[in-house]
Amino acid sequence: MKRRSFVKNVSLASAAAPFVLKDINFQPIAKKLFNYSKMAEGRVLVIIRLNGGNDGLNTVIPVDQYANLVVQRSNIVIPETSILPITAEVGFHPVMTGMRNMFNDGKLSIIQNVGYPEQNRSHFRSMDIWTSGSMDISETRGWLGRDFDNHYPNYPNDYPNATYPDPFAISMGFEVSATCQGLMGNFSHAITDPFASFNLANGNAVNDGTYFGSHMEYIQTLIDQTNQYGDQINAAANAGNTLSTLYDDNNPIAVQLRYVAQMISGGLQSKVYILNINGFDTHDAQVLMTDPTLGTHADLLKTLSDAVEAFQDDLNLLGLEQKVAGMTFSEFGRQIASNASYGTDHGDAAPMFLFGACINSGIIGPNPTVTDQLVNQAGNEMMIDFRDVYASILKDWFQVDPVEIQPLFEHTISYVDVLGACNVGLDEEQKDESNLLVYPNPARSSATLKLDCKDEWVKAEICDLQGRSVGVVCDRQLTPGTHSIPMDISHLSQGHYVIKVYKYSGIASIKFQKLK
Amino acid sequence: MLPDQSVDTPVSLSMAPFAGPWTKWEAAHLLKRTMFGPTNQQILDAVAAGMNATVANVLQIPAIDQPLAFDAAETIVPFGSTWVNAVYPSNAAQAQSVETARQLSLGAWIMKRLNTEPLSIAEKLCFFWVNHFGVTAIQDSRGTYNYHMLLRQHALGNFKQMIKDVTIDPAMLLFLNGATNTLYSPNENYARELLELFTIGKGPQIGPGDYSHYTEEDVAAGAKILTGYIVEGLRSATLTSPQSTFFPILHDTTTKQLSYHFGNATVANNGALEYSDYIDIIFQQDQVATHICTKLYRYFVNYDLTADVEANVIPIMVQTMISNNYEILPVLDELFKSEHFYDISLKGAVIRNPLEAIFGAFNPAESVPNYDLTTNSNLYLLIYGFAQGQGLDYATPPSVAGWTAYYLAPNFTKLWLSSSYIKNRFDFATLVTIFTGIPSGGNNFKVNALTLVDGLSIPSDAPTVIDDLCDVYCPKPISAAQKLVLKNILTNGLPDFEWTIQYNDYIANPGNTTFSDPVRLRIELVINRIFKMPEFHTI
Repeated sequence: MKRRSFVKNVSLASAAAPFVLKDINFQPIAKKLFNYSKMAEGRVLVIIRLNGGNDGLNTVIPVDQYANLVVQRSNIVIPETSILPITAEVGFHPVMTGMRNMFNDGKLSIIQNVGYPEQNRSHFRSMDIWTSGSMDISETRGWLGRDFDNHYPNYPNDYPNATYPDPFAISMGFEVSATCQGLMGNFSHAITDPFASFNLANGNAVNDGTYFGSHMEYIQTLIDQTNQYGDQINAAANAGNTLSTLYDDNNPIAVQLRYVAQMISGGLQSKVYILNINGFDTHDAQVLMTDPTLGTHADLLKTLSDAVEAFQDDLNLLGLEQKVAGMTFSEFGRQIASNASYGTDHGDAAPMFLFGACINSGIIGPNPTVTDQLVNQAGNEMMIDFRDVYASILKDWFQVDPVEIQPLFEHTISYVDVLGACNVGLDEEQKDESNLLVYPNPARSSATLKLDCKDEWVKAEICDLQGRSVGVVCDRQLTPGTHSIPMDISHLSQGHYVIKVYKYSGIASIKFQKLK
Repeated sequence: MLPDQSVDTPVSLSMAPFAGPWTKWEAAHLLKRTMFGPTNQQILDAVAAGMNATVANVLQIPAIDQPLAFDAAETIVPFGSTWVNAVYPSNAAQAQSVETARQLSLGAWIMKRLNTEPLSIAEKLCFFWVNHFGVTAIQDSRGTYNYHMLLRQHALGNFKQMIKDVTIDPAMLLFLNGATNTLYSPNENYARELLELFTIGKGPQIGPGDYSHYTEEDVAAGAKILTGYIVEGLRSATLTSPQSTFFPILHDTTTKQLSYHFGNATVANNGALEYSDYIDIIFQQDQVATHICTKLYRYFVNYDLTADVEANVIPIMVQTMISNNYEILPVLDELFKSEHFYDISLKGAVIRNPLEAIFGAFNPAESVPNYDLTTNSNLYLLIYGFAQGQGLDYATPPSVAGWTAYYLAPNFTKLWLSSSYIKNRFDFATLVTIFTGIPSGGNNFKVNALTLVDGLSIPSDAPTVIDDLCDVYCPKPISAAQKLVLKNILTNGLPDFEWTIQYNDYIANPGNTTFSDPVRLRIELVINRIFKMPEFHTI
């Protein structure tokens, strides 16, 4: 077992901690405890927070508007020849080779222009909005915490227990995550090293009903949970494995993700892992004066990209790719125009990344618009509401019933297909009515799409990873039953594709791979 | 918020002078909220002096020594002298090496201040301002030192003047990019935080770019108003401190339009003093006083701002602040003498921050390292590191808003404790009590158990020892059952008189470790236990 150093000079940022009060009159929100579907069982979501407001325009670069980028941000713009080509419209920052590889493998997707209406440019308020998944200033719970509350009312009272021996979420670092703040407690458990042993002395303080009393109960519960969860985490970490050689020991996020892989492979049942990277508030010296491909922002993106690539490689080697998906988020993007300090000020919408083998790969949404007009304080316009992304993750990944999801959010949800690629045909209970299957898969010149339908119009199209249609398989009225539709794919170039099937009853999709 | 519904909220919301019995608990409450760790004797002295005299004593800012050079990398000033007005070597690599030495000196200096605080609010209040402005140490420790001394200078002074001076302080100009905010490219960073965090505060967003008390247009106008200052002399080989200099050519001379929140005021060009005109306009809004008084309340009294407190307590503080033209002292003077402050429901309402936990353990035992300068400094740096490991890096707040424990609802100071942090706290408690102590220069620094016990009212009486230790370390009396557990640790399960004999033998044989070691060990075992009790972690 590894030894941890006594002092860690790391300060990972912000969030909220458990909050405990007994005997509170708590009304369970859900009438019946919703059971996550079998398919979602064991699924894990990894969340990486880019703290400070990531500059989306220097991350996912709209190369189709390069000339205007030069107008807007001449002192920080990445030289055109250095940009990593992704598609005709989009390029990556040159340090993001890892994420570029993942994109090409269909294991990274980009959701463009994510934000919320009437952007608040305060770090603190905006981070509250992103972690709570709500624009209501009085909302103190996190978006995941609200969902956990529905499933595990009364937490943290009587947790852990025999049915739920493990933390529901793990926050890598010292602080719990505001995303997991529930009504009475925070569902995330902060750890810095899963191999550290916890054996804290317990007290016998009494809750006398005052603030002091509530603190006594809070600390007691914290000590109990720390010891009990600590044992579970130790056991999982020791039983777990890690196989990738891509992790860099000097990359703090890579080290944390390796711990995450060890805990998952060791059987820890935590559903969410949260990591944090500080430093994205690049008001100045975002790039080096002498070389815009280097500097603070490049270092941060490299940390992220290298770490995520290593983690995905590990998941693949461990056979866990179908169980783990990830996302990044930041409180806002930055303004389109740079400032004279080789930096950028607080802006509006920005891209999010999703990663994993089960993502609906490609690019969702168009590039942000960059004009040749300098508009004071202008940011990128929001096109996709971040709450829709959250809701879609709950639906696609954790298979939460949409009836349960809608009340978690204050606006009417428009679902986005983000994480459904592993859902089809895997689970009897939740079997998609389309029953999609592509065979053979991978395929060379032809393949067959098998689907079920009612007496309805069915449109099936092949899309590339950028979401562009590259061929129509079917677009007609079908009879009820199972259909096997031949597909000529000889014209397609090698790579990953998604077949989207639109029916009256809904949309389904399935991925396949075209070989040479 | 939940505590409103389920926690006993204050009975008294009165800001009238507290007229109840002034006992050890009231005195201890005042000193624990205004200091890092009062001693038993300080608490007893406060009881004897009475409330008014004690508050008057607390509300003074004593002079302090300057940081001293101790690291070999300091090549400009001699060992043991101060470097705060010294130049740097002209060679950049050597300057970097000297800067590293000065940062170490500065870190040790900060910890020493907390460890040796007299009966005064100074250190607790300076930390309040460090948290309020969130400035990170700059790359010239002379500037960092000057900034911290500026906060200390104004800590109990005039808030408006403090804001003005901080606005053009080199550390702030560098931290929030004021030093690169020019006519040619306004940088909004400082202008935004000046409104959002430092003065008027951000309210709910009530329209596009409208935050109840100011708008995005005010941020943009503020950035223009503040243009023109740059920082000179960083790590200079000739200048003895970094300086803020105004360059008229970099200043935006247009007339700036503020929003309806400031009565649509305009700010005409006034060159180097325009920032001051702007701050005067901001301070015409009483919301500034509301913002800072609320923050003072949350820090010194209770993070849970109940509707009753907002309606009854804050307005009195605001009124006092306005009628005293933004002087801070009268507000705190009134608060610390108020009936509300001593309400029983508020004792233990704050969870100690890491430095309150660390020096809350050391200071009551008068544990101050008195080795040579190098050993002391290295020891203080180790303590600095322990505080970092528990979530508090004094010179590097996590963001411009300060530490989350002071602003993030609903948990506030509970954020000082997570499973990671509490483990580090408990490990630290073990280290400085029953384990080796913190090693430095061949010495081991621990909580001085013998000094601690000698300072109690009747050290030879086991029940009194436990009572006094709880008075010093816990915010409220603990149960008889808990006291019995602690007393059994003290006496090792033997009758109380055995402790009396042991203690008296130690007193009768000064310098004889055969007699002092058992006493020390028993006290160490007791405080090791106390430092791991939930009660200790609140004040």
